[in-house]
Amino acid sequence: MHTNAAIIGVGQSAYTRRPQPEQSTHTFIRDAVVTALKDAEIDAGDVDGMAVASFSLAPDAGVDLAWKLGLSLRWLMQDTNGGSSAMNMLGHALRGVESGAASVILVVGGDATGLGGYAKVAANFNIVTQLHLAPLGHGGPNGVYALVTSRQMKKYGLMKSDYGHLAIAQRAWAAHNPYAVYRTPLTMEEYLAAPLVADPLSRYDCVPVVAGAQAIIVAHPDRCPRGRAPVRVRAHRASFNYDNQEGDGLQTGISTFAAELWQAAGMRPHDIDLVSIYDDYPTMVLAQLNDLGLIGDGDLARFARRDIGEKRFPLNTWGGMLSAGQPGGPAGGLNGISEAVLQLQHRAGARQVKDARLAVATGYGMTMYRYGGTAAAAVLEQME
Amino acid sequence: MNRGIGIWRCAQCRTGFFPQRLLCARCHGESFEPDRVHEAVVEEVSIIRHMLGQTDWQPRRIASVRTAEGLSLTVGLTDDSAPGTVIELFEQDTAPFGAAKK
Repeated sequence: MHTNAAIIGVGQSAYTRRPQPEQSTHTFIRDAVVTALKDAEIDAGDVDGMAVASFSLAPDAGVDLAWKLGLSLRWLMQDTNGGSSAMNMLGHALRGVESGAASVILVVGGDATGLGGYAKVAANFNIVTQLHLAPLGHGGPNGVYALVTSRQMKKYGLMKSDYGHLAIAQRAWAAHNPYAVYRTPLTMEEYLAAPLVADPLSRYDCVPVVAGAQAIIVAHPDRCPRGRAPVRVRAHRASFNYDNQEGDGLQTGISTFAAELWQAAGMRPHDIDLVSIYDDYPTMVLAQLNDLGLIGDGDLARFARRDIGEKRFPLNTWGGMLSAGQPGGPAGGLNGISEAVLQLQHRAGARQVKDARLAVATGYGMTMYRYGGTAAAAVLEQME
Repeated sequence: MNRGIGIWRCAQCRTGFFPQRLLCARCHGESFEPDRVHEAVVEEVSIIRHMLGQTDWQPRRIASVRTAEGLSLTVGLTDDSAPGTVIELFEQDTAPFGAAKK
């Protein structure tokens, strides 16, 4: 348990599907940083640590960003783990503050690739993708997770409409999130009628790429603004290359540490009030929930139909990336953490989960060949 | 076009790998010998109907396939092979493809 470090502020930029010429990864990151510092009531001059992740910051590195933000630091890291970067950076930041390496750490992620730029990122994601997947016209992660989804449907007896329950429920949450790019209610008829992107994935199964950025501030809990409870992390775990890409991808790296995560948190899955699950595809939401033990009996179909379809389970209460948008994997992961913080501080407005005190958030990413190779999770708690 | 797909076999424990590794994931041996696999069974198929940033995209078929020794590969399909079909594998440059065995 992290007792001398906590999340004391969150902030984000606007999200947009089509950034304007004067907007860039850097300007979105600036906007998120300004908002997070204001939220934490921290002066920029007090920031002495920064963690950053982005697919489109290059050729700038973290130190260039620090320079352009006017931050002089004694602790700096840059994370390259895509969808689990946010969670990974959170863990490093907590340890950085607790060890005394820094006192106020800004954790930020953002991207503004545009759709064409994202396609280039997807086709050049790693050497294996360049050599063996892109020449097939594999469609980037959509093609990869289309195959994983078919496998999941076969293994668990899932129907297409089961994934629709997740997309529809998250869209209902997004209606209360002014930052979400898609807020109009989605019906099952619309979901099922949507054009196929990569069979069996259709439009609402594929995360919409947006430009935007997210930031959080990690510091000693005493620095949290008055009248607001800091959010501490009861347990944090991560996994990298858990199976050498030799499995079926239906279990994630979370499966390697879930039991240890709950034990370290002193909690059980059913103690949790809400969950933020990295949702680039509904398939991987179900896989991560199952790995965490949040689908008690492992009946994914019943969980989708009953717990999600009947809105019994507060999942991705900002609308998830599927409705709010994915500003690159790193900021997408930070979005889930930020939402958990807002919920635990009872600042989530119309989407507030009543009496929320405990949340679990995950990150999942780096589609190395057949599925993602990185995963991380944290149990977050509202401090008394 | 080359028949079969090139894989890398650990010189020490004989485990086959695709894509190429630096150390064997089984025994951490550092030497590999080139080998080829020629057949696989189709397990899952997808049709890529839309590609970000492309306006004149023509649908393409990809598949997850498994070789007799258990290697899972992602290949392009050049025909209508469905799950369960035994396919012949071939390479175009570094890209693996397959079509139903004649």
